[in-house]
Amino acid sequence: MPTPESLRYKNKLYYLLLAAGGLVALAGLYAVHMMEEHGHIISGMNNQIVWGLPHVFAIFLIVAASGVLNVASIGSVFGKAVYKARAPLASLLSIAMLSGGLTVLMLDLGRPDRIIVAATNYNSTSVFAWNVVLYSGMFSLVIVYLWTMMERRMHVWSKPAGFAVFAWRFVLTTGTGLIFAFLTARQAYGSALLPPMFIVLSFAWGLAVFHLVQTTIYAWNEKTLDPAILRRKKNLLGVFVIASLYMVAVYHMTNLYFAHQVAFENFILHEGGTYTMMFWIGYVLFGNAVPLGLIYAPGLGDTRCVMMASALVVLGGFAFLYVFIIGGQAFPLNIFPGYVASSSFGDGQIAHYEPSIYEIMLGFGGLAIAFIITTVSVRVLNFMPQDKAYIAD
Amino acid sequence: MTQLALVIDLNVCVGCHACVTNCKQWNTSGAAGALVDCNPYEAEPNGTFFNRVQTFEVGSFPNTETVHFPKSCLHCEDPACVPVCPTGASYKRKEDGIVLVDYDKCIGCKYCSWACPYGVREFDEQRKVMTKCTLCVDRIYDESLPEERRKPSCVLACPPGARLFGDVHDPDSEVSVAIRERGGYQLMPEAGTNPANHYLPRRKTVIPVRAEELYRSDNPHKIDGAPFDKNLPPTTEELN
Repeated sequence: MPTPESLRYKNKLYYLLLAAGGLVALAGLYAVHMMEEHGHIISGMNNQIVWGLPHVFAIFLIVAASGVLNVASIGSVFGKAVYKARAPLASLLSIAMLSGGLTVLMLDLGRPDRIIVAATNYNSTSVFAWNVVLYSGMFSLVIVYLWTMMERRMHVWSKPAGFAVFAWRFVLTTGTGLIFAFLTARQAYGSALLPPMFIVLSFAWGLAVFHLVQTTIYAWNEKTLDPAILRRKKNLLGVFVIASLYMVAVYHMTNLYFAHQVAFENFILHEGGTYTMMFWIGYVLFGNAVPLGLIYAPGLGDTRCVMMASALVVLGGFAFLYVFIIGGQAFPLNIFPGYVASSSFGDGQIAHYEPSIYEIMLGFGGLAIAFIITTVSVRVLNFMPQDKAYIAD
Repeated sequence: MTQLALVIDLNVCVGCHACVTNCKQWNTSGAAGALVDCNPYEAEPNGTFFNRVQTFEVGSFPNTETVHFPKSCLHCEDPACVPVCPTGASYKRKEDGIVLVDYDKCIGCKYCSWACPYGVREFDEQRKVMTKCTLCVDRIYDESLPEERRKPSCVLACPPGARLFGDVHDPDSEVSVAIRERGGYQLMPEAGTNPANHYLPRRKTVIPVRAEELYRSDNPHKIDGAPFDKNLPPTTEELN
């Protein structure tokens, strides 16, 4: 039973967290203002690296927003009670991360003031335009899904809405993967493997975020997660991490098989400096190997280990996207195969990129928006998973 | 259908960058506004340039030669940058085949830059829109200019006349004749974009000198059997 003192402390802490999130979001808005005022000159982006750190944040949030719905889908589509109890929280996290990611993406576009142009001019051949529909559709569908779950008289629609969300999120992550899969101009992309790879990555990243938030909510409410549920969920995270590592390995192995891709793979896997380090140490070691150890090693796998594994999977996700998006652009276009081209503009050379403080602020601003939406929502509405004493499945 | 394009003679181009600077001068002074310059006097200058010259070495030392390769938008007949644009800001004109960007529709997402296999899309970091070579559309139709000046500024600036401009669909145009008769080729045809701009390859100019052109067949020294004069020109065998 919480004491009045602990409630007062929590109340203070809640407002403190909200204020901290607000400050970070404000810093993000300041960065937007600066980039709007001065242009992208003040960012680290240039004509070689046209998508920078904010896009890493945005794509992580969007992909994880889709992946976190996996928890809801297992509940509503496959009827697993443990997951069904967590569907509202998963849906909330999806909306929060989608909001944060889309805000970063929209504000980092060169002309955020022209969002109305994007909404009123639609080129149906553009995969980017398809994604505009997919993102807004996802947003609306998840809100409807949440409504069917949170309002008793709408419960009958919960399953159809869950199915719709399940189908939509697959299409959405396929669409995100297609943004890169349709690019034949650059060596890092143009592979049919990318959409399924993004779907599998979304499973791992989404579930990792879910674990982090769920553990925090349980701790906040001074409750302990049933060890049986924790075991099931950590095993699921382990499977997703292994599957995503497998997909990434296959992607790089197939590239290595093609003679014209060897130089690019050599750059990413061997000689790419920061990118190579981030791939092997950031993604493979800390984003996959260590979490797998924390989940499966005998004697480990308790709540703290799962929490740490989840945090590492999230950080690994950022490292992966940094290498995938920025490393992929840093490697020069192979316009004159067999020759080393140069120019006074940096053509034919490995492009240099250093994220500016404004890009960092904007990226964290997106995270802060997701944080604020989640924090306020779990405070004012009941998103605490309600597990039954006996779990039938 | 008319398809305006540039044909660049790599045999003539000396990499002087006059096309680059004149392009920048014309387009930065035009109605569309100034093209940004980032750190122009520092170690790593950057900015928006519609036309850039790349350079690479061919052959192995000491038998090498330098190729200067000017590259701007190739105004592809099937451009990769057009279908990917979410708002349709990137478009190809039906009347003359020029690929342009509608700055009022461009939201600056830069996805066209990802799609272009030639890396010729230029994001203007100050105006926050995607820009590119327009083939100087604002001067080639300008009737206030004398007719011979209605050409892209890079063409007018090229000192050795390495750049030709015209309709590559007209078989009798100067550019079509150059492509046909001087081995004009497209950059990276494997990309399937069918670039309208063409390049004329580097050529070795060989002037064969035959001994009989240097000797008189009725050379009295040969006729009278006098001793061979070392100052005489070499024979064909010696030349080859």
